[in-house]
Amino acid sequence: MTALPVTRDRARRGAALVVAAAALILLILPHVVYPVLALDILAFGLFAVAFDLMFGFAGLLSFGHAAFWGTSAYTTAWLLGHGQSVPVALLGGTLTALVVAVPVGFLSVRSIGIYFSMITLAFAQMLSFLALQWTDVTGGENGLQGLARPGLLGLDFTNSMHRYYFALVVFALGCCAAYRVVRSPFGKTLVAVRDNETRARSVGYSPTRFKLTAFLISAALSGLAGSLFVFGHGVVSLEVVNWRTSGEVVMMTLLGGTGTLFGPVAGAAIVLLLRDVLTTASLPVGVVTGLVFVLAVLFFRRGVVGTLQGFLKARR
Amino acid sequence: MNKTVLTLTLALTGLAGAQKLSDNVVRVGVLTDLSGVYSELAGPGSVKAAQMAADDFMKANKAYAGKVQVVGVDHQNKADVASNKAAEMIDRQNVDAIVDLPTSSAALAASEVDRQKKTVTMVVTGGTTALTNESCSRYTFHYAYDNFMLANGTGTAVTKRGGSSWYIIYPNYAFGQDLNRQMTAAVQEAGGKLVAPSDATPFPNTDFSTYLLKAQSLRPKVFGTMQAGADLVNVVKQYNEFGLRKQGIGLGIGLLFETDVAALGQDAFAGALATVPWFWNLDERSREWAAKFEKAFGKKPTWAQAGVYSATMQYLNAVARAKTDNSDAVVKALENYRFSDFFARSAYIRPQDHRVLLDVYTVQVKSKAESKEAGDLFKIVSRIPANRAFMPLSESKCQMK
Amino acid sequence: MNAQLMLIQVFNGLVNGAFFALLSLGLAVIFGLLRIVNFAHGALYMLGAFVAFALGQAFGLGFWPALLVAPVVVGLLGVALERGLLRRLYGLDPSYNLLLTFGLTLLIQDAIKQVMLTRYAVSSAPYTIPEALVGATNLGFVFFPTYRLFVIGFAVVVCAATWFVIERTRVGAVIRAATENPTVTQAFGIDVGRWVTIVFGFGVALAALAGVLAAPIYSVEPYMGSELIIVTFAVVVIGGMGSILGSVVTGFAVGVLVALGSALYPPIANTLVFVLMALVLLLRPNGLFGLPETK
Repeated sequence: MTALPVTRDRARRGAALVVAAAALILLILPHVVYPVLALDILAFGLFAVAFDLMFGFAGLLSFGHAAFWGTSAYTTAWLLGHGQSVPVALLGGTLTALVVAVPVGFLSVRSIGIYFSMITLAFAQMLSFLALQWTDVTGGENGLQGLARPGLLGLDFTNSMHRYYFALVVFALGCCAAYRVVRSPFGKTLVAVRDNETRARSVGYSPTRFKLTAFLISAALSGLAGSLFVFGHGVVSLEVVNWRTSGEVVMMTLLGGTGTLFGPVAGAAIVLLLRDVLTTASLPVGVVTGLVFVLAVLFFRRGVVGTLQGFLKARR
Repeated sequence: MNKTVLTLTLALTGLAGAQKLSDNVVRVGVLTDLSGVYSELAGPGSVKAAQMAADDFMKANKAYAGKVQVVGVDHQNKADVASNKAAEMIDRQNVDAIVDLPTSSAALAASEVDRQKKTVTMVVTGGTTALTNESCSRYTFHYAYDNFMLANGTGTAVTKRGGSSWYIIYPNYAFGQDLNRQMTAAVQEAGGKLVAPSDATPFPNTDFSTYLLKAQSLRPKVFGTMQAGADLVNVVKQYNEFGLRKQGIGLGIGLLFETDVAALGQDAFAGALATVPWFWNLDERSREWAAKFEKAFGKKPTWAQAGVYSATMQYLNAVARAKTDNSDAVVKALENYRFSDFFARSAYIRPQDHRVLLDVYTVQVKSKAESKEAGDLFKIVSRIPANRAFMPLSESKCQMK
Repeated sequence: MNAQLMLIQVFNGLVNGAFFALLSLGLAVIFGLLRIVNFAHGALYMLGAFVAFALGQAFGLGFWPALLVAPVVVGLLGVALERGLLRRLYGLDPSYNLLLTFGLTLLIQDAIKQVMLTRYAVSSAPYTIPEALVGATNLGFVFFPTYRLFVIGFAVVVCAATWFVIERTRVGAVIRAATENPTVTQAFGIDVGRWVTIVFGFGVALAALAGVLAAPIYSVEPYMGSELIIVTFAVVVIGGMGSILGSVVTGFAVGVLVALGSALYPPIANTLVFVLMALVLLLRPNGLFGLPETK
């Protein structure tokens, strides 16, 4: 027991070191890979963090998270297209995702396990239908392009570097929010509900309310991520509400490390870099990503960060 | 201008002036679908076609020997990947022009990036009329086909041939709605009528029996389908199953690629009418090029791939005329230009909306018995001259920027 | 909508329903015993159609023998998948099974696409209706394609037979016992593991059978199962996960409802299923025939 303070101290130092390293990587990232791709890593990274809040911490596997990412993406695009400033567009997208999440969450968190996955998938399909049909707002299968991104505080958003560093700030804020949620008493209760719902109920918690709150927070953060994605590209297309996007974020989270909160960012980076490499290799995208996914589920369930954590713990 | 004179002139211009090329190389990026649903009709074949154009150009213009490069990049049919890759090719690989671009959303996204980055774009496999209307761009040219040309060609030609009564179905999204609108207008203009209002079908969809049974009871002379790709294959498969052809109901198709015919076998499509910008055995000149392509690639070219060759060649020729790869100069050299190559006949590049006008053909699919050799799919029903094949300027909503 | 048109739509719906029923039956059988949501079910349906086509190309195998051989081939592949991959995940959160089969779906679809393009040079494979079933049959109110009537009848027979085996025979009793309490069943000296493999293989074979049935009327292409599987999931949720009878009845019923709905407003067809699902879940969270889910 006497060793405890020392271990905790070392653990804290280790964590600080990891955070510093991650921050450094993100700061130099756009100088290593193409800035728009780097921004994609931030957007999908935040999306995966938001997803992990639900999958890793609340034990709910949503197979329709593209609904929130996509809703926000379209809203952001619409606002930018109607002359709104970037912060208004980002905020508007996030809020709309949250509003959509209220009925969806209310209907789906009552179910558990596989039912939950299927229901979220079905809602995402409805939204994707709406996006295809409502061409006045979404542009249908043509999508929307050439969205203006008016500059801000001396930043010129036609410059991809400026966009990246602005997005990095938003990304950091989103991550802080997710961290606060997980570390709060609410986060602790959420994990307790996940691990033993009956016990949580018996000590007076309403599991459904906790899960719904987690669902809403996750949806809002996914929305923020989706709006960053549109901010980065200046285009939006039906892909953002497709079920493959819902699958992709699951894959990123899993590869990065479920329940590690920030591990999914690494997962997003791996998937996006892999996809980028495949644009010039003549390998079929599906075969490669499918194979990586299967291997990850079979042999690498803790993900990159999870495995790293295990390795560090073992050494201690 | 005949071919030898053309080649000679080009050779002379090439020799005459020292060109100004950014980093001394002209780079053409083929942004296409290398592994997805369009990879067979465009994809690796498009990259090969562009490479052939570059090689032929360098052979004809000694001053450019070793100075033209082609890169092929996969956009995976995603608009975000397309915009990303277009920007990256321009910024990092110094690409001077981008060609092909299947999938409307990807074509529009790349075109927008190229407008901002002042890079010439030749859209070949993407078909949306938005490219020369509300989304037109100073640097983007729309090359082989578009929805208007398809619907206008087939609607007019089929009606004039006696297919005077129609029943049309279309997939319920912008492409299908657009095609249905144009087709209906063309049919009515040519003196035909619709026996019932067109029906919107779900998209995507596999089962079309509802509409085929409806067609049976309506007995139109032509059953028009505006479906594309896998949905079109489903429609035609079931058109045969329901025996519509035997009941004297013809088939009019909005968008037909050679690959669709291969998917069901020629006989399933036999008699169907569609409009295409080109096919490999159109004439001797086309055959010649197709044979070269087949030798290099191992398969007969699709019209999309032939279009990529032609678009690449016309871009390079414009570079030679402008004596620079500076985009503004090349755009100027392309605008108002008249030419004729194996793919594009009596072609003219309209400066107001950058629609490349060319002769197109309404064709009928031959049955296996009519087919004289492997891959002999089409016979010409009517040739639509370039100046009447595409949307008239008066209808275009393009405000060039 | 007049009565004749409605009747026609009922038959159209039954054809679609036949595919929903066969697919959701396979999913239900697998879910019942293994608690696996097999995302790859759509890809395996496609594989059934593709194998029928490939066997025809290689050995001139016709539709009738393919109706038997293709499901066996794909079923054996299912057995291999269960033994080689899924088995490693038992005892973990069931989500991992879903994720694994999701990965397999991407892999199978794109692999078959490559094979089709390189080996057969087509993006969609031609397949024709068997000679004996070409043409239409007079139903009194309409001439309906004979092959489609066969699809309805055949699916009903297969579903009924499956239901009979599981609910009324000794084999079925063992399977049900293994489903409800694997530990006790194991204690009775029954090799539960072997039954798990057999049932998975059987469920997969049902998907492949649906694929072969679809080959003569629907486009045989790598992604033919990718939208269908999402709709089938909705059907399974409406019927109640794991319920054999529920999946079959719901399969046919949803097919008919969607057909009637789409006659009124065609574009809604793809969404109607999901709206239906949301409604059912509001009223009966475990589906129409389902028992409360325990984790």
